[in-house]
Amino acid sequence: MASRRRMLLKVIILGDSGVGKTSLMNQYVNNKFSNQYKATIGADFLTKEVQIDDRLFTLQIWDTAGQERFQSLGVAFYRGADCCVLVYDVNVTKSFERLNNWREEFLIQASPSDPENFPFVVLGNKIDVDGGNSRTVSEKKAKAWCASKGNIPYFETSAKEGFNVEAAFECIARNAIKNEPEDDTYLPDTIDVGGAGRQQRSSGCEC
Amino acid sequence: MRGGDAAAAAEEGSPRSPDLHDLSDDSDYAAAAVATASDHTAMRTDSADAGSDETARIDVVYEKERVTIHPTQYGSARISGKLRLFLQQGSLFLSWEPNEGGGSLSTSSVTVEIDKYRNLYTIKALPLSDVRFIRRHTPTFGLDYIIIVLSSGLAFPPFYFYNGGIRELFATLKQHVFIIRSDDDPNVFLVNDFQDPLQKSLSSLELPGVASVANAMSRQNSLSFTGSVDETRHADDGSHGAASSMSQYSSKQKPKSNDPGRDLSIQVLEKFSLVTKFARDTTSSLFRDNIGSQAYRRQQHGYVLDNKASDKQKNQYITPEKDSIPSAPVESDPIPLVWGKQRDRPLSDEEWTTFLDPEGRVMDSKALRKKVFYGGIDHVLRKEVWKFLLGYHEYDSTYAEREYLTAMKRAEYEAIKSQWKSISATQAKRFTKFRERKGLIDKDVVRTDRSVPYYEGDENQNVVILRDILLTYSFYNFDLGYCQGMSDFLAPILYIMEDESESFWCFACLMERLGANFNRDQNGMHAQLLALSKLVEILDPPLHNYFRQNDCLNYFFCFRWVLIQFKREFSFEQILLLWEVLWTHYLSEHFHLYLCVAILKRYRQRIIGEQMDFDTLLKFINELSGQINLDRAIQDAEALCTIAGENGASCIPPGTPPSMPIETDGGLYVQQDEVL
Repeated sequence: MASRRRMLLKVIILGDSGVGKTSLMNQYVNNKFSNQYKATIGADFLTKEVQIDDRLFTLQIWDTAGQERFQSLGVAFYRGADCCVLVYDVNVTKSFERLNNWREEFLIQASPSDPENFPFVVLGNKIDVDGGNSRTVSEKKAKAWCASKGNIPYFETSAKEGFNVEAAFECIARNAIKNEPEDDTYLPDTIDVGGAGRQQRSSGCEC
Repeated sequence: MRGGDAAAAAEEGSPRSPDLHDLSDDSDYAAAAVATASDHTAMRTDSADAGSDETARIDVVYEKERVTIHPTQYGSARISGKLRLFLQQGSLFLSWEPNEGGGSLSTSSVTVEIDKYRNLYTIKALPLSDVRFIRRHTPTFGLDYIIIVLSSGLAFPPFYFYNGGIRELFATLKQHVFIIRSDDDPNVFLVNDFQDPLQKSLSSLELPGVASVANAMSRQNSLSFTGSVDETRHADDGSHGAASSMSQYSSKQKPKSNDPGRDLSIQVLEKFSLVTKFARDTTSSLFRDNIGSQAYRRQQHGYVLDNKASDKQKNQYITPEKDSIPSAPVESDPIPLVWGKQRDRPLSDEEWTTFLDPEGRVMDSKALRKKVFYGGIDHVLRKEVWKFLLGYHEYDSTYAEREYLTAMKRAEYEAIKSQWKSISATQAKRFTKFRERKGLIDKDVVRTDRSVPYYEGDENQNVVILRDILLTYSFYNFDLGYCQGMSDFLAPILYIMEDESESFWCFACLMERLGANFNRDQNGMHAQLLALSKLVEILDPPLHNYFRQNDCLNYFFCFRWVLIQFKREFSFEQILLLWEVLWTHYLSEHFHLYLCVAILKRYRQRIIGEQMDFDTLLKFINELSGQINLDRAIQDAEALCTIAGENGASCIPPGTPPSMPIETDGGLYVQQDEVL
């Protein structure tokens, strides 16, 4: 039982309505994109088996409703999370400005045992839109915010084109593993991030 | 050492951590604490049980009269009661008990109604270890109140303090449990928070006493509304052992003769077992599983999903009985056999005209609703009949009156619409709320029912109309605004009405009843999920026990079902039928909750057999979308609704959506700082 629990990594995706949470999850798990996803009501999750450094994990990725009004449901859904992914739309400034609110709300509702060091990963999604001409939040600005919050790893993604999604989730998985109590399992202190160099947009995974 | 002692010890030993906004920054609290302490330390009360021993001794440390629940969501009806904090065996418990009889502050004839719900809200002994946080509300105008949120996510209805006493409450809490103010919201008081280093180190020592402070406790028994102190303590003990089995559990549950819910569950069990005997050979028996756990094991295989085959069997069995059974009045038949009627043909054009008098009035609205309940409506008639079901047209209105109303309402709609239509681009720049609301609606309409031909394709004009109606509605009802899920409700209505103004008004009528689903404090949703939990408790005790043991009592896995009335669970065509059935309010305004119970019962075998935990259950329920046999679910729900009868109805407090809310001066919708 204990070992099964250790193999399951629970990841919560948060962010404003319409930033692409469902699309990111589906792109990562099913390699599919559709512009006909319905607005998420309540919560749902997908799972994917991932291999990290010769160990197998089940990544359980939770997709939640983006409207602030539904935040009170978080108490039930955020429990036991190992990593929280904050998503914003690089073309919508407001969605970036609300990242802090999502982060704080998560910490209140999930009440992780060590909130200071709880792993977050930030994704700036929809970089494909209009060839990047409509973006309103610069990479620099996003990275500065991430740095100010304890060096949160940052990725720029396009769920539509599948750009950087794999790398982002690998980082997410690695951070989730770090959050797991180590028990008797051997976990190396430093993990070489094979994917980080591959994607230039990535600010790198801090693992 | 029990939890309360541990917490108190932690308090004493802990230096004030400067970065936590705890209560010590408020000198009033300190003063109040002293006052409370001197008031109550002498009040040592023995448990009400005669012959109680030492272990049952309770110390009341806080007591306040006239702490009141407003059971209708917005309403004027009130249940006044006594809020207490007491220590037992070193653990702190909270209780709230309504005053007997005449204590109701209700000013109207609903008093009698309210009395039925009195006991629904009783909290006999809630361990503080089950509490996640308490939110304090001190509005400038109006009464102070608190909302208690459990670790399970469930919230109690607000407690209004008619005699004050909130400060003393928090001061007393602080003396006995670990409580801190949230950094983010000074009105939120976190209970059992583990950010404090000392608290954390205590928990890591795994002292038996500390465990009852920890959240771990809340996994058990998180909905012990009516559990006595005794039961609660048993449950606490049980949770230290890895698993409290079904048999352990049932031995703890002593039937209480004065508990109507408990009595009913027994009655229902008896009725079900009778039906079970009767229907033994049909694999699709809805009720047979209630007789005991062997039953699940026996039919582990071959139960699931074979809808067609099992329906056929069931129909063979039912058809000959159908006419003789359902009409028998309950009194003359102590154990009625109830089964949902077979679905009827939809209301046809010919039949419809027989309901109308020469001027166009519906002469017998109840018979009409009954007809629609059992068979739905022929598609071409929906445009006409839905307006009655939704309350847009009065049943006793004439053709001429309706025509006049339509014209008036059209003009009114255009007037409201022009309110946002006239907002220029420059004005919009200075109108964040409008921009964001519009943005949210724009995002949602393009992903609402786009696979339905009516909304298909780029540049679809109907999608634009959806947007316009929703935006207009958010001006018509600015307090409620727009919330995700509304577009799900509107799309079928527009599809049927094919007219912007008529769709708007029908939608507005629907929101009169269901607007609370989208309220900011989620009170409408909590009320429905709580009622659902009560219904399952009386209609399927084993399933209820299973949910209880597996920390699933918040019923959040049914959230989507309830919020948008199964919109995502059935095809577009099926939803048209289901909604008109629900809108008849023929057997119950809350038929959708019985539908939830019916579907859960259908799948209980898998839920229990596969030992689904909360996550698995949520996933399972989400994936039922498109798999549920609608006709059968409605039939099952009808049977459950009939069997539950008055006892079922009393599980559902007045004002629970889609019941009509009771208006007050304060406005219908809770206002907070949120923009949208």
